Amino acid sequence: MSSKVIVSNIQRFSLTDGEGIRTTVFLKGCSLKCPWCANPENINHSIERYHDADNNKDGVFGREMTIDEIYSEVVKDKVYYDNGGVTFSGGEPLLWINEYEELLKRLKDENINICFETSLFVKKEYMELALKYADSMIVDLKILDSDLTKNVLMNNLSLYLDNIETLFKIFDPSKIVIRIPVSNEYVISNSDKYVDFIKKYTPKRVELFKLHNLGEKKYLLLGLKMNKYEEVSDSDLDDFKNKLESVCETALLKF
Amino acid sequence: MKLLKKFLKLFLKDNRVISRLVKFYRYNRSFGIFKTIFYMISDLFLRYRVKNNKNQAYNTARMLGQIGFKNSKINSFFYNIDTHKVFYSKKRYLENFTVDYSVILESSLEELKPKSGSQYSDDKNVVIEGINSYIDHTVNYILKLNIDNKEVIIKNILSIKDSKAVHFDEALQRILFFNQIMWQTGHMLVGLGRLDKILAKYYYDDIENKYITQEEASKYIKDFLCILHEYFWYKSNTLLGDTGQIIVLGGKDEKGNYLVNDLTYMFINELKKIHYPDPKILLRVSRDIPKALLDASVDCIKTGIGSPLFANDDLIINRMIEFGYDKDDAYNYSVSACWEPLVPGKGVEQNNLETLVFMEPFNRMLNNEELDSIKNIDDLITRYDKYIVEYVKEMADMINNWEYEKEPYVSIFVSDCDKLNEDIIDCRGKYNYCGLTTVSLGNVVNSILNIDKYVFRDNKYTLKEFNELRNNNFNNDNHILNDLKNNSKRYGLDDEEVLNLSNRIMNMMSKSISNNLIKGGKVKIGYSAPSYITHSVNQYASFDGRKNGEPFIVHISSDINGLPYTSLFNFASQLDYSSNKINGNVIDFIVNPSFLECNYDKFIDFLRISISNNLFYEMQMNVVSSKILIAAKKNPKLYPNLIVRVWGFSAYFNDLPESYKDVLILRAQESEKGYE
Repeated sequence: MSSKVIVSNIQRFSLTDGEGIRTTVFLKGCSLKCPWCANPENINHSIERYHDADNNKDGVFGREMTIDEIYSEVVKDKVYYDNGGVTFSGGEPLLWINEYEELLKRLKDENINICFETSLFVKKEYMELALKYADSMIVDLKILDSDLTKNVLMNNLSLYLDNIETLFKIFDPSKIVIRIPVSNEYVISNSDKYVDFIKKYTPKRVELFKLHNLGEKKYLLLGLKMNKYEEVSDSDLDDFKNKLESVCETALLKF
Repeated sequence: MKLLKKFLKLFLKDNRVISRLVKFYRYNRSFGIFKTIFYMISDLFLRYRVKNNKNQAYNTARMLGQIGFKNSKINSFFYNIDTHKVFYSKKRYLENFTVDYSVILESSLEELKPKSGSQYSDDKNVVIEGINSYIDHTVNYILKLNIDNKEVIIKNILSIKDSKAVHFDEALQRILFFNQIMWQTGHMLVGLGRLDKILAKYYYDDIENKYITQEEASKYIKDFLCILHEYFWYKSNTLLGDTGQIIVLGGKDEKGNYLVNDLTYMFINELKKIHYPDPKILLRVSRDIPKALLDASVDCIKTGIGSPLFANDDLIINRMIEFGYDKDDAYNYSVSACWEPLVPGKGVEQNNLETLVFMEPFNRMLNNEELDSIKNIDDLITRYDKYIVEYVKEMADMINNWEYEKEPYVSIFVSDCDKLNEDIIDCRGKYNYCGLTTVSLGNVVNSILNIDKYVFRDNKYTLKEFNELRNNNFNNDNHILNDLKNNSKRYGLDDEEVLNLSNRIMNMMSKSISNNLIKGGKVKIGYSAPSYITHSVNQYASFDGRKNGEPFIVHISSDINGLPYTSLFNFASQLDYSSNKINGNVIDFIVNPSFLECNYDKFIDFLRISISNNLFYEMQMNVVSSKILIAAKKNPKLYPNLIVRVWGFSAYFNDLPESYKDVLILRAQESEKGYE
């Protein structure tokens, strides 16, 4: 097990990324450039050093970890993985799946539940490899417009839609959660498209979250500027939630 | 001038200045300065009326005969403490313990009278007669009151004389009656014991016979809790709230079955409803705990009252048996004022005699050893051990010199006293065990980890240079202090090196203790660290990034940078609780209310898994946010009912000294970093 991946954080007692009590492994490197991204330190696939002027200290985002090192960390909480397990998030965790497939095999051998939190803007073979090991999937649904996807996210919507089609064909929909970052600009103004999408695929659950600026400090440390978005009103969010609930079992306001 | 001299003479007589200062402090925090001065002066004269005689039974009876009822409390029950009548003695009284109240429920006073003639039986008779007269005084007083339920109250109090308790309300009144006398006769930190167990037969008989309904029983429990909460200021020990009034619920029986009944739920639910910090509940949990009971408990904790605390039977009982308790007794354990296991009615067990400060012998070593001759961490720890041995011996010698008053009243509740015909202070009972608490193990562990890093691995300083830096309070350099605080290896982390070090140091202390007897008995210690402020104020800075006088780590905890709860619980599960390390080993952590609200079911799962896998010995938590604590510190008037868990008790946040508020705020902030 000599392969290494760049990990920005391993969060134990993670309760928001999948069922039960989990450990979430955040991998650096992403296939998208979402302007609202709350984890900007996970966009680049490289170790990034920074200086924190407020606390007058140097720091680093990301470190190379061997599969053994990650394994030792994630099994520490094995006793708590009753209906929980390990979630791979990022960045885009599927981009590096070949590098850590050995880890997935090992977790599978030990009956540890595996979940991927992915945008699905990846090659189909990466997704198919992930599905060999996945017990559940959390899939982002960001923008449902080709031009905007190209201009805002810097990627190709058809790649996403093809993967979604395959995913719901070969993987149990009751183990798929769709997560929507809700903005006025891209989502609320096109809410019917999203409702149709959910109606078509009927995932287990839809999780909605408002765009927030909790990641602002990290943008500053990286010398970047965070985009500000107009906050979605509670009533618009509720309307959207109700529409979604008319076509799927649960829509949760997550964060 | 003459009067002043007389006053000073009275004040200083028998070197009782400290007890008077404590009393002054307690009065002042409740009544303000003017009333306090008035009360203190009147106490000096009233004291003559309960002047100590050499015979403590006589003193007790005389005290009972002179109790006033001016501040008595009434709801469904009658409860009275005359706060102006206090025993003063050079000697010590037993404290911090729970008696076996089933003794007085299952026997009348008449039946408790001893038959054989001896000093002990004479004393016991004197005390029982004193109680009989006090019952008469009480009844005469209640007769004059204009209250609806006086006939019932009088009947329940009079029955103490010549009948066993029969009904539920009668049993509760009887416990209150004897409990008030316990406080009145100079005992502090008085626990209540396993009330759901000892009251079950009275409750179920009354329900079956339709003597009461469940709603009426709930009302009785509510009134019982409320009336115990009275005299809160008086019962509090060093801090307001530290009353030791702990009710133990649930628990395994000898056959391994988990004992739970209606009363278990009712006590928890009523405490939740009244939302008082005191009395408090300890719930004995086990892997067989019903889900509904765990849910009800977390529902109560969620309100922020810091109670119930959980004690894990699956670990504690076996450890008690290994230490020397009989199996039946271990299964029936209750606790001292906070969590230190004891068996009520079976021995003198004083579990909070003193505090062993790990930092004290560590600093002695640093001050006395030739530091540059220390070659490595192993060498340093070996030298530290020498100072621990010396320190523990000093502590044991000091305690062995303490003198105790005889305890004819407490002896009523101890089965061995009648058998051996001796006062509990003389016969010591079946379990002549004592206990010491500890503090600053985590600070020493973190200090050693930093010495290892900066001196022996990175060679940044010599140990002598590093120690000079420490002696200079690290020059108040926040850079250095932050580095020391943020060592990735620290107490509370489930890391092999940290665990080995923590266990090694604790075992050095444990071994030293086991080589010393206190009052002829074995001594228990534990990882719980309640005196994290009291004992830190005089300790110099330490290598864990603590400046001069700053607080020590609280119990088994680590809140720096939001250490995951799972790490802390894994750490606690691998601590060594064998041998004498059974005297309270509590994990203490803070949970943000919105985090708990958003993840409620998963949090319950976390606790359930922790219980079923023996991941903790005992645990308590504060459910509070740093935002609320900061706001309450700034504007106390806006938060009069904000309750927090302090060391082993709950208190109103506004009643705490600023230093305790600051510790809670800092810990809450650090804890929240993990879940931002």
